[in-house]
Formats: sequence, structure tokens, C-alpha cells
Amino acid sequence: MMTNNKNFRIQRIFAQNESYLLLIIIAYSIFVTFLNPSFLSPGNLFNLSKSSASMGVLAIGVFVVLLSGGIDISFTAIAISGQYIAVNVLIASGVDNIFFAFLISCLVGVGLGAINGLLVSYFKIPTLIVTLGTLNVFHGLLLTVVGTKAVNSAQLPDCFKAFGATNVFTLTGPDGVNYGLSIFTVIFITVALLTWFILKYTMLGRGIYAIGGDVEAAERAGLNVARIKFFIYCYVGILAGIAGIIHVSLIRYSNPTYLVGTELSVIAPVVLGGTRITGGVGTVIGTILGVAMITLLNNSLILIGLSSFWQEFFTGLIVAISVSLSSYQSRRSVAI
Amino acid sequence: MVEEFLKIRNVSKSYAGVQALDKVSMSIGKGEIHCLVGENGSGKSTLIKIITGVVKPDEGEIIINDKTFKHLRPIDSISEGIQVIYQDLSLFPNLSVAENISLNQLIEEKRRLINWKDIKDIAEKELSNIKREIDLDERVENLSIANKQLVAICRALIQNAKLIIMDEPTTAITKKEIDYLLSVILDLKKRGISTLFVSHKLSEVLQVAEKVTVLRDGKKVGDYNADELDYDTLSFYMSGKKIVSSAFSYEEKPGQKAMLEVKNLSKKGDFKNINFQLKPGEIVGLIGPLGSGRTELALSLFGLNKPDSGEIYVDGSLVRIDSPQKAINLGLSYLPEDRLNQGLFLRQSIQNNLVVTILKKLLDRFKLLSYERKYKYAKEWVDRLNINTPSLEVAAQALSGGNQQRVVLAKWLATNPKIFILDSPTVGIDIASKNNIHNVIKQLAKEGMGIIMISDEIPEVVRNCNRIMVMIDGSIVKEVKAVDITEDELFDILSSSQKR
Repeated sequence: MMTNNKNFRIQRIFAQNESYLLLIIIAYSIFVTFLNPSFLSPGNLFNLSKSSASMGVLAIGVFVVLLSGGIDISFTAIAISGQYIAVNVLIASGVDNIFFAFLISCLVGVGLGAINGLLVSYFKIPTLIVTLGTLNVFHGLLLTVVGTKAVNSAQLPDCFKAFGATNVFTLTGPDGVNYGLSIFTVIFITVALLTWFILKYTMLGRGIYAIGGDVEAAERAGLNVARIKFFIYCYVGILAGIAGIIHVSLIRYSNPTYLVGTELSVIAPVVLGGTRITGGVGTVIGTILGVAMITLLNNSLILIGLSSFWQEFFTGLIVAISVSLSSYQSRRSVAI
Repeated sequence: MVEEFLKIRNVSKSYAGVQALDKVSMSIGKGEIHCLVGENGSGKSTLIKIITGVVKPDEGEIIINDKTFKHLRPIDSISEGIQVIYQDLSLFPNLSVAENISLNQLIEEKRRLINWKDIKDIAEKELSNIKREIDLDERVENLSIANKQLVAICRALIQNAKLIIMDEPTTAITKKEIDYLLSVILDLKKRGISTLFVSHKLSEVLQVAEKVTVLRDGKKVGDYNADELDYDTLSFYMSGKKIVSSAFSYEEKPGQKAMLEVKNLSKKGDFKNINFQLKPGEIVGLIGPLGSGRTELALSLFGLNKPDSGEIYVDGSLVRIDSPQKAINLGLSYLPEDRLNQGLFLRQSIQNNLVVTILKKLLDRFKLLSYERKYKYAKEWVDRLNINTPSLEVAAQALSGGNQQRVVLAKWLATNPKIFILDSPTVGIDIASKNNIHNVIKQLAKEGMGIIMISDEIPEVVRNCNRIMVMIDGSIVKEVKAVDITEDELFDILSSSQKR
């Protein structure tokens, strides 16, 4: 009986998408290291974790929406709005403070997210239609009302540049080059932990899973579905605001036409991480692994010497394959 | 005398002038297993809504546990221990068994944070209370329907259920699963918990119910002890009509060859070594419980479930049926079991539904769809099958079950099939419409069509077929002429072979 139980548990671990993904990541890393030994250097790894942080924060937001059975594609417009408005306010007001920048960006994010939330939860409009519309509305408003001029590195307030260079700790490699754990990575991990806690240990989080499983059953069980949905879109807005600031601090350049158009490359890691596109199933760990896999892939394409245009191709391919795979799996399990 | 848990006295309710319930009274004793039956529109669901406090009656009173309620609110009904398990069970397929059982309780306690140990403890305790075991960590979507029902029952019990109302619980489950469900219900009875089945599929429930209340057109026909009822009297009480169904008589013409012959047809996991013949003008009944392979066999004949081995002959020549298109070309038609999902475009007009199988015949000389011909064809079939509709433009979903089924029948008859496979042709249809559809089928057979009728209702096959094949666990275990067997004998064969 005991061994039976144990076997069962081991089987369950292996049945999980995450473990497959982890194995693939490890195998792929070994493969790339053979082709280019500099890949596995601590410097490159720390760099990757820094440059993928803003995608990671956005992916966590997308993950929560997908979990609830919805989809949000307006998050890129929200992120760039938060970023560009924050940068402009800082320049205009002369306040050179990164916390102030985060505050403004997150306020913009939560405001725009609330508009999505309102349309989705109270007017019950399908989420794809809502966010497809608001993506263009938000971005269009930003470009016409706030402006189209890019802010270059020289004009950018110093706090962004300082923030981008902040490491929690710094090490010096044998070749004399400095590397370290960026504050970006810490923010990403904090966001991931917070989201994990909300989803696992609060009624709100279980409500998100419940809605993704069966909305009607959730309503009958007494969950306030409208309120939960409203929270979700506001939460995505805040995360987009955070990601916007990380993004500008990384590239030291704020262009209001950036980010929009990259929705799929953020949705890809979430789907790859095992989140069901129809909702209800998925984990934070899976999403983190998905982000790691996509980052790895993009980075290795460059290391191997393929043109970066291939990134787009592979991102699309990965979404197509992982969605078909999970749909095939669920159909097979129904057949049994 | 059993102590009474729930009493309803002279309850009436009307909607916009239509009397949905008219002075209905009934009572349910503690630990009683009660069954509420009636056809669609008889007032069953209104009565349930009144018991759960969702709908306020125009007059009458509800007495629960000796407390009289003039205005019963949903929250009163729940706190008095009344729980409804809906047909779709309202479970979360993506969550674990433990969470499904416990979540409602946690919501009710207005908890903000989740303690996973509590969730497991609550679920474990309730499962051990009803002496059943399910893996608490398993996702509900991976459970059998019987276990899903168990989870739903546990969830109801946790909220202190004294009366569990089960809305059409037996429609989608196999005989074995029904037996399991009934054994759980009997255990609940020992704990003094009452059960109210709401159903129009009776044979299984009648075995375990003690009392039956019949509703018709918003009025109570009567309360009966289950053991004084049989299929015919109950049909009479429900429909109010003595249905005279003439038995089907088939005269074999000498020298007539089989139009369909199946030899040693097997498909792993579905059915094995199926052999039978079908001659023109025959109605062959294929009876077996859900999961016996009967539907899978039908799908194989229609090109939707590729068999592993065996041969199919149509009009004496060996054929390979690998797509529905091919089956149709060979003169086969298939009426699916799940009429709403597989047989109808619910939002489309009746006209569009009727002609969808024969669009090619409706093209004009420019190869465009001729609206005139379309209308003519649709009108012809509506008249031939007596489909009761105000116009051809009405959406199919607006029709009653009986009329919907006639639309599906007409749609396939329009293709002029020689062989017609009907999968549960009268499921969920009221008794008068059932009889009407049976007459249509018999008429078709008289005109020379060969018909296979799949069913799990014994009277249906015995009264409407000339030959009956009994299918159990993927094999045809008995083949008999309808005149050589009684309904009771057939029942014995079906239930004895299932216990093996």
C-alpha cells in the first residue's frame, strides 16, 4: 500500500509539465555549452537573469490572467504607457527618484488595468476583444496625448541609470570582469513569490483557479467572480507598470513605440510553462521555467550565430507546439 | 410513522398568467428516499426552486423541521440543511478532490487565507464519514462520474445537509455507477439524511426510491409507494394519456437478402466479435447499458470509429467505411445520441437544420443555393413529420425536445437512407412525443428501410423492434425475436450479466 502510494507520487511528479521543461532546459544548456563554452559562464548567466527580468514580471501577470480563463494582450501598451509617462513626469518635475518613477508607472498601470477589469467583469465582454481594443486605445492615447519623441540616454533622469546598474552583490571573475546579481532579478523573484503566495494561500488566489475551472460553479459556490476578475486585471496593470520601469532602466532609452507588438513573446513562456490556455491549470514555477527556456533560446541563437530574426520564428513555433501538445494530452486523458 | 423533515402545503406559483404550480403539497420524511417525477414543464423545477428559496411562491407554506416559512430565503433553506446537486455537479475540474469538497465551507466561513491542512482534514473526515475512499490529491477532471458525484455529495454533507436534492443524477452514468450512487444514498439514509431525486428516467431510481410524487401540468397527480408502480402506470400518471402502442410486426419475405451484414467486427476496448445481419424492413434493437460498446459499434458502422478487424457487407458486397461521407454514400444514416451537441445547430433556423445534409440537391443551374428549393424541401419535411413550429425560421433551440428530435430525424431522412442507425432516439422526450416518433420509425420500416435502434430502455425495444440484441461489455450476449421475450425476462438478462 505504502509503495503503491509512493509510486503514485513519483508518477505524478513525472506527469507534470514542469519537470519535462526542466530536463529540456538542462539538456539544451549542455548542448549550447558544447557549441560555445562561454554560455555557461557565471557572467552570462547573471546577465541573462537581468535582461529577462522585465519579460518575467510581465509573464507572471499574463500567467494569472490565463489561469482565470481569460487573456490580456494590452499589457505591453500598459507597460510602455507607465514607463513613458513616468519618464516624462520625472523630467518635467525635476524629481530624480526611482521610487517616484515606480509610483507613477504603477498608478498608470493600475488605472489602465482597472479599465480592462471593469469592461471584463461588469460588462462581461470577452477578454480577448476587450484587451485587443484597449491595447490600441491605450497606445493610441499615449502617442497622441503624451507624445512620440523618444527620450535618449543623455536626457534620461539619472535615477534610472543608477537603478539599472544596481547589483545586490558583485563578484569579480578570474578575467577581472565584474558581474553580480541585479536588483531586477530580485524584483522578479519577489513578484513571483508574492504571486505564488496569493495563488496558493489566499481565498482570492483559489478563487482565480476556481474561475478558470468553471465560472458558473464558482458563482454557485458563493465566490464574488466580478470582484476577482477586476482584481486580476488591476494586478496585471501594476506588474506591467513595474516591468515598464525595469525595461527603461535596462536599455536607458524610452521610446513610446517599444514593447507594443511583443505580446506573443511574453505569452509564449507562460504557455510553454504548462499554463492551460483555457484556464484553471498552471504554476508560477512553470512560468519561471518558461521564461528561462525562452531567454535561453533567444540568447543561444545569438551565441550560435543565427540572426535574431529567427527569434520570432522560434517563439511562434514554441507557442504552436506547446498548445497543440497540451491539447493533445488533455484529449488523450479524456479518451482514457 | 416517519418523522417529517420537509412539508410543503398548498404551494402555488404562476408566471405571467401561466400556472406553473397549483396547490401542490408533498412531504419528505427524515431519511426518506423520495423521487419527484414529471415531464418537462410539469413544474418540477419550479418546485425545487421554491424548496431552495430561489423562487417565492404566490401562496402556501413550507415547513422545514417544524418551522413554518412564509418567505423562505435561499440562506434559510441552506441553513436548514437543504442542498442541491445540479446535473452538471458544479465541481471545479482543475482542482483537487480535497479542495472541491472543502472550498464551499471555507468560503462560507469567509476565510481570507487558506490552510491546506484544514482543506485535507475537512475532506478526509467527510469521506471517512460516508466510508468511501478517493485520492484527495487527484484532480477532479480525472475522476469517474461516480466519484465526481461522490465529491459533490461530500461537499453537500459538509454544509450540514439534511436533505440532498439530486437533479437528474442518472442521465449520463452507467448501470454500475448508478448502483454505486444508490449504495451511497442508502448509507446516507442510515444517518437520517433524506434524498430527493428529480428525474424522468425512472427504471433505476424506482429500485431504491421509497416514495414517488408525480407532477403533471403544475398539479400533483399523487404520492405513491415505489413498489406499487411499474413503467406503464407511471407513464400513465406522468402523461395523463393511455398510450396505445401497437407492437411492431415484421413479416420476413422469403429469399430476401441482408442489406447489412457484420462479421467478426472488433475494436480493442470497445467491442469484440460482433456478428449480425439486418434485412430490409427490420427494426433491430440493440440494448445495453451505457459503456457496453453499443454507441461505439454504431460509430464504427458510420465511419467514425475505425474497427481493428472484421468485415462489413452492404447489399452483399464487402465495404470499408472510413468516413461518414462514405457511409452516407452507401445509404447509411446515423442519428446521434447527444441530439443537442451532435445532431443540431441549435442557433440556426429549423429550415437550415433540415437541409444541411442535402445542400447539393438544392443547387440551381448556376450551382448556387436555391432558396426556393430549400424552402420547399424544409416545408415538406416539417409537414411529413408533424413538426410543430410557428415558422421555418425559428431557431432549433426554441423547440421542445420532441420536436427537436423530429428535426434531426427529418434531416437524416432527407438523405434517403436505406439503413438508419438510431442511437437513443427518444431520450429526454415526453411520453406522447416518444410514441409519435416510434410510429414514424415503424412506418419507415414498413416502407423497406432497415433500422438499428440503440436504447437502454427495455420497453422501447421490446415494443418497437422485431429482433433484439443484448450487448454487454462489448459483446452481443443474446439475440432474440421480440415476440419470444418479455420485458421482465430481458431485465433479468441485463441485470444478471452485469453483476458478473
